[in-house]
Amino acid sequence: MTRTTLLAATLTAATALTPVFAQSVLRLDEVAVGELDPAKASDYADSILMFNVYDTLVLPKQGEPGHEGHLAESWEVDGATYTFTLRDGIAFQSGNPLTAQDVVYSLERMQAVGQGLSHLFGGVAAEAVDEKTVRFTLEEPYAPFVASLVRLPIVDKALVEQNATEQDPWGEAFLSGNAAGTGAYRVTAHNPQAETRMARNEDYFGEIKDAAPDEAVLRYSLEAATVRTLLAQGEHDISSQWLPPEVMRALANDGAQLFTESGTGAFYIKLNTAKPPLDHVNCRQALAHAFDYGTALQMVAITEDVSSGSAPTGAIPVGMFGANPAEEALARDMDKAREYLADCPTPPEDWDLEISWIAEVPLEERFALLMQANFAELGISSKIETLPWALFTERVASPENTPHISQIFVNAVTGDPDTLLYGMYHSSTPGTWQSPEYLDDAEVDAALEAGRRGPGEQEREEAYSALNDRLMELAPTIYGYDRQSVFAASDRVSAPALSDPSQAFGVDGMGFSFRLMEMTD
Amino acid sequence: MTRALRILASNPLSLIGLILVSGIVLAALLAPWIAPFPTHNSAVIDFAHANQAPTARNWMGTDLVGRDIFSRILYAYRISLGLGIVVLVIATPIGTVVGLLAGYLGGWTESVLMRLVDVFLSIPPLVLAIAVLGVLEPTLTNAMIAVTVMWWPWYARLVYSIARSEREEGYVLAAEVIGAPTPHIVFREILPNCLPAIITKMTLDMGFVIIIASSLSFLGLGVQPPTPDLGSMVAEGARYLPDSLWMTVFPGLAILLAVFGFNLLGDGLREVLGVDE
Repeated sequence: MTRTTLLAATLTAATALTPVFAQSVLRLDEVAVGELDPAKASDYADSILMFNVYDTLVLPKQGEPGHEGHLAESWEVDGATYTFTLRDGIAFQSGNPLTAQDVVYSLERMQAVGQGLSHLFGGVAAEAVDEKTVRFTLEEPYAPFVASLVRLPIVDKALVEQNATEQDPWGEAFLSGNAAGTGAYRVTAHNPQAETRMARNEDYFGEIKDAAPDEAVLRYSLEAATVRTLLAQGEHDISSQWLPPEVMRALANDGAQLFTESGTGAFYIKLNTAKPPLDHVNCRQALAHAFDYGTALQMVAITEDVSSGSAPTGAIPVGMFGANPAEEALARDMDKAREYLADCPTPPEDWDLEISWIAEVPLEERFALLMQANFAELGISSKIETLPWALFTERVASPENTPHISQIFVNAVTGDPDTLLYGMYHSSTPGTWQSPEYLDDAEVDAALEAGRRGPGEQEREEAYSALNDRLMELAPTIYGYDRQSVFAASDRVSAPALSDPSQAFGVDGMGFSFRLMEMTD
Repeated sequence: MTRALRILASNPLSLIGLILVSGIVLAALLAPWIAPFPTHNSAVIDFAHANQAPTARNWMGTDLVGRDIFSRILYAYRISLGLGIVVLVIATPIGTVVGLLAGYLGGWTESVLMRLVDVFLSIPPLVLAIAVLGVLEPTLTNAMIAVTVMWWPWYARLVYSIARSEREEGYVLAAEVIGAPTPHIVFREILPNCLPAIITKMTLDMGFVIIIASSLSFLGLGVQPPTPDLGSMVAEGARYLPDSLWMTVFPGLAILLAVFGFNLLGDGLREVLGVDE
């Protein structure tokens, strides 16, 4: 008894002595590994880290197309030359001032490291005109260049060079464990398999909401059941998008909010066009018409209002250049499927389709079963194959080893259709995880190149519209559904960029800019 | 036989074991006829009934694609029992021969064989099986191979210890004196005296093989979908805890009943056959 009183007294004294800092903490999770090196960032976890720790020259406008200056104050375009003027008085977290040299260094480092999304910056050269002006020169015209700059985080040249060694000239070891950016959050601890802790950067040059979290903890690879329990007990704030729909639904029924980020990607069921019988267009069309689009949408619905999918209308997600209007939803048509099948040279019983699914994404197993049942109605025999991601990326390197059917979620990493479609369908890029179709079609190539060249929106719209039509004729892919990411969240946090369409960025992961979130207690 | 049944019946726990095991074996054998949804052991989908709690239609609820969990458990028992029988039928003779030879011949043979057995026993069984499956592809056949590889040394160890003590018994010495050939002594004289212990261990092991096989498929290394398997059903359901309890609890109970049943029966058999601990 006495001891308790004493303890209580000590605690009261301690509280009275220290000023009260109500540290607000945002807790979220994603799939491992969390790659902190911005030149290697490619997936969702990496993007969350990148958009909080680093800044880019431009940002997408919220709720509308186009871009606005961020680290850059303004820019001018002259053919294939882009000249950016940097904002004054921006400093890195280290205290070093940001200069044009840092921008040049960041581009060169990205190209030299050659990982992540470095392919976006293939034929680009940069030079520092003066302290505040940087000029990019493109080898050939690339209309979405400004859009691609949202994937060029600017690193602190002086700090990285200090930590580079002869064996590691680009400081890869340093940047995989430390931050060297201007971002609104500093990294306080980082373990790529377990968690990254970040704290607010009070010297940030841009807007940070007053109620933005003081600290953010991004944990990796939590089990769905763990996230479910933590969220229900108020021990977690935002789930990853990879929770199965049933778990999201249960959380929503318990009162969790559902955040969404949409419009730049789709669920693709990719057909290997280099392997019989799918080398024949009629055989592929038979599958595309036999697939049950309606049931697919039911499977990914979470509540009556929120779903991780909306009806597909063609090869390009609704809302992008060249997309068909939302009313023209694809639907199952078994009569047409049978007609196509009759003109397919291989009889259905000899098909022996391999339907693969990625072991890390349990939802895909259900799609594999759905397809197996759908195609069986046409008398097509098939077997289901589970491929872990690492094995899958290895198998797709040659057309013979690539399964007949692969299931892939792809997003336009910059929000532009070029980054969604070029890597998927251009004949120069076969055999990556994005292109297990092995499509080789001159008309498709021409449309992709025209879309990239632009220069105006009119030309791009026409090019992608033609591409869409051609792809629907060729059916290299079954367009499963247009996808949006859904996250379950506690009521402690509000994130307008993830809940209000007029505040959305349209770039994957950017909605997780912690500086724009607000903690409510 | 009647004596055996009487001893079994006099011990209520063994009787429960016998009833459980017979029930499970019958259920597995008759699965295509007694399962309410006999087609649900394959790639069937029925999204209208997906993820439903137990009802009169689906006694143990349905899984994520609408398949009846009760029907799938009945079919999964076929896989589990089949796997257990195959593993024991292969592992027991290998282990027995190794143990007999090492125990009777002694010397150089004993040293080589028993050190080999020690090497296998020194690796944790599940790790060994995972290693084997890591090299091979995860299929039902390979899961059987993996479990067999880790199982035979236990029989070698058991039979070896019996054979070593039997070697000094009068009847063995007598056979040696009249010049009986070694195979005769080993298989005709010593082996029959090991059989009760072997049969008891096989019954007890059946449960453990089912657990190990389920653990492997829980890790995704055993039977592949859509074939039902108790371990993978538990693994799949675990992602949906605590909301969809039935997906995990019923397959888990099914494993528990099988292991419990074989253990009780094994204990009963030990008494019937008069095997020492």
